[in-house]
Amino acid sequence: MADEKQSLEMTRRAVIAGATLVPVAALTAPAQPPERALTAAEKQILEAFVDRLCPKDELGPGAVECGAANYIDIQLAGYLAAEKEAIVSGLAAVDAYAHSAHGRPFTGLSADQKDDVLAAIENGSATTVPNARGFFNRVRRLMLEGMFGDPHYGGNSNFAGWDLIRYPGPRQAVSPEEQKMSTLPKPYRRSAWGAEHSGH
Amino acid sequence: MATNLKPVDVAVVGLGAAGGVAVLPLARAGLNVAGIEAGTWMDPAKDFHADEIYNNVRGMITTGNKIRREAPTFRTSSDQKAQRVGPSPMMNAVGGTSIHYHGQSWRLKPWDFKTISEVKKRYGASYLPKGSTLEDWPLSYDDLEPFYDTVEHEVGVCGKAGNLKGLLDPAGNVYEGPRQREYPMPPLRTTDYLEHMKAAARSLGWKPFHSPAAINSVPRHGRGSCGYHGYCDRGGCHLRAKNSTCFSTIPEALKTKNLTISDRAQVTRVVSDNHGRVTGVQYIRDDREYFQPAKAVLLGSYTYENVRLLLLSKSKAFSNGLANNHGQVGRHYFGHWDAQAGVGVNALFPMDLNVWYGAILSQGVVIDEWADDSFDHAGLGFIGGASMTVNTERHPIAAAATETFGHAPMWGSKWKAWIHENGGRTVSAYLQANSFPYENTYLDLDSEVKDPLGDPVIRVTSGPKENERLAAIYAQDKMEEWFKAAGATAVKKANPGGPRLSTHTYGGTRMGDNPETNVADRWGFAHEAPNLGLLGGSVFGTSGARNPTLTIQALAWRTADHLIKSWKSIAG
Repeated sequence: MADEKQSLEMTRRAVIAGATLVPVAALTAPAQPPERALTAAEKQILEAFVDRLCPKDELGPGAVECGAANYIDIQLAGYLAAEKEAIVSGLAAVDAYAHSAHGRPFTGLSADQKDDVLAAIENGSATTVPNARGFFNRVRRLMLEGMFGDPHYGGNSNFAGWDLIRYPGPRQAVSPEEQKMSTLPKPYRRSAWGAEHSGH
Repeated sequence: MATNLKPVDVAVVGLGAAGGVAVLPLARAGLNVAGIEAGTWMDPAKDFHADEIYNNVRGMITTGNKIRREAPTFRTSSDQKAQRVGPSPMMNAVGGTSIHYHGQSWRLKPWDFKTISEVKKRYGASYLPKGSTLEDWPLSYDDLEPFYDTVEHEVGVCGKAGNLKGLLDPAGNVYEGPRQREYPMPPLRTTDYLEHMKAAARSLGWKPFHSPAAINSVPRHGRGSCGYHGYCDRGGCHLRAKNSTCFSTIPEALKTKNLTISDRAQVTRVVSDNHGRVTGVQYIRDDREYFQPAKAVLLGSYTYENVRLLLLSKSKAFSNGLANNHGQVGRHYFGHWDAQAGVGVNALFPMDLNVWYGAILSQGVVIDEWADDSFDHAGLGFIGGASMTVNTERHPIAAAATETFGHAPMWGSKWKAWIHENGGRTVSAYLQANSFPYENTYLDLDSEVKDPLGDPVIRVTSGPKENERLAAIYAQDKMEEWFKAAGATAVKKANPGGPRLSTHTYGGTRMGDNPETNVADRWGFAHEAPNLGLLGGSVFGTSGARNPTLTIQALAWRTADHLIKSWKSIAG
C-alpha cells in the first residue's frame, strides 16, 4: 500500500514537471493570430452549414459557438491545406444548389430550407454538388474534430464541446475515484498542451 | 559507393517489438551487435501527448515519412489492380510499434501451434478450412513456454495466471496453456465498468479475467506505474509505464556496451555471397550509403518490410530474392480478423459508464470461452473463434462520432441532445478471431508503385475467407449476449469484411521444418541462408485469437538464444 501511494505521488510529480514543458517559443513569442484559409463569404457558408448540423439551442452552444468553423478555417491553412480547394469548391456548390433549389444564397435561407439543402447533399440527391455525400460526411467529420478535439487546434472554444458530451478533460494521471461509474469526475478544463494553448 | 563499416557479430534490422528484444540476450552474451533502425529516439516529454487529434486523427506518432513512402498496395484477388488504401499501419522509431501499441501481451494457446493435428483428431480432416495452407508449427507451446516466461519478466508484463503448472485459477484465464510462474506484476486495476461486465459474464456462466499487458501496474525496474490517463492507443506513454522496448530491453542492452545503434538508417538490401550466406546489410543514413558487414543478420522489421527486403535482395545465389529459391517468401501471408477486418460490436447503455480514462485494451476484461478450441465446433462449419475484450479509454471525438443505434438522426438538435445524453454511454468490444494462411492471400512486389528510391512497394493480395467470417459472426453473437446480460439497451454487430492493411499480419517468411513450404526453420533461421534470422509476425503459421506481440518477442528471444548457443555452426 505504501508503495502504491508513493508511486501515485511520484506519478503526480512527474506529471506536473511534464506539464510545464511547453515549447519555449510559445512562452516568449507574443501570440500571433493563426493563418486562415477561407474568405469571409466562404466562412459564412461554412458556419451556416455546421450551425444546422449542430445548432445553438436550449442545450447550449452549437458548432459555431464551439469553434468548429474556426477549427476548419485554421486547419485548412495548415495541416489540412491539401483539402482547401475541395472544401472551398464544395461550399460554392452548396451555395449554387441553394440558389437553384430555393432562389437564394445558402446563408439567406430559413432554417428549414437550409435543412432541406443539407439533406439533399447528405443523401446525394443534390447532384450538382460534386461527390455530395462524401462532402457532407467530410464537413461533418471536421465539425466533430473542431467541436470535440483539443482547443489547441482552434476549436472547442471554452471547452464547450467537451461539456456537451460530458467528457471530463485530459488529465495526466487518473485516480481510481475518477474511474467510478456513479460519479463523473469534475470537468478539468485544460488543453493537453497547457493553459497557454487553450484556444486561439 | 557505399562506405564499409567495421564488421560486427550481429546486425539487427529494426529495433521495434522484435529486434528491440533480440538485442538484449545477444548483447548480454558478449556479442558485438549493430542495431539499425529507420526511425529515431522519441522523447516522452516532447513527443507524447494526451491529444486525440495528434495521436488518433492524424497519427502524428505512427505515420512517419518512411512508412508513408513505402505504404503497400492492396487488392482482394489476383485479377485486380492493387491500390494504395492508406499509410502503412506501422511506425519507425527506436522501440517501433511497441511505443504506441496497447501493450497487450498474450501467450498463444497450445492449440494454435498444433491446429492441424488437433482439428483432425477432434473433428476430422474435413473440418480444415478450404484453400488453407495451414501447417502445424515446428515447435509446441511447451517449447516456447520458457521464452514467454523470460520475456514476461524482462520486458515486464502484468496479469494473473489462470493455469499455474496445471493448477487452474478462475481469477486468470483458465483456457491458457500451463505456465511455470505467476506474472511479475498483478493486472492493471479494475473499474466499476469492468466489474459490471465481469458480473454479467459470470451470470452467463463465463469466466472473465483481466487482460495481460506490458504495462507497469506497480513501479518496476526504476519506472513508475500506469497513470490511466486514457491516451495509450496510438500514443506513447508520458510516464514510461508502458514497457515499450525503448524503455525496457533496449536500454538494458545498451548498458552492456555491446550494442551500437544507428538510428535514421534505412536498410535497402541484405547482402549475400555466392554460397548463400548473408554478409551484412546495406543502408542509407543522411543520404550516404553504408555497408555493415556482419557474421549473422536478424531481420526484425514489420511483416511487409521483412518480405520486401528479402524480395529486393537479389544475388547470384538468390535470383528471385534472398532465401526465396523455393518461392515461399510472401506466401502464407494473412491478416488478423479483428477490428481492422471489420469485426466488432457496439453497445448503448442506459447509464453513464465513465470509461473516458484508462489504458485501452490493457485495462480490460476478456472472455475466452469462444476462442480457439475452447468449445465444441461439431456442426458449426468453422474452426477457431474469437477472444472478446471490453475495455476503458474513450476519446471525445470518437464518442461524439458514435452511431445513434437508430434512436436519433446524425445531425441537428435531436442529434445534439442524443450525444449529450449518450456520448458517454456507448462502448465497443474488441474481438480477435483465429486466422489462418490461404492460397489466395500473399505478398509480392508491386511492379507499378515504387518508393522514392525506385524500389517497388509490397502488394497485398487478400481474398475472402469463409471460415474466419463465420467464426467472427459466431463470436459477435456471443458478444451481443454479453452486452445484453449487462443491461445494454441497444447492440449493433458489424459485418466483417476481412483484413486490409493491418497491424496484425502474419506469414510471408513462415517457420516450418519443410523448406519446400517454409522460409524459416524451427529456430527462425532461413532454410536457404543459414546465418539469416527472421523475427516478427512474418514467421507465424497461425494468428491465435489474441494480439501477437508477446509471441513475437518470445520467438525473437529464442532465435537470439539459438544463435548464441550455436554461434560456431551458424556464424563461424
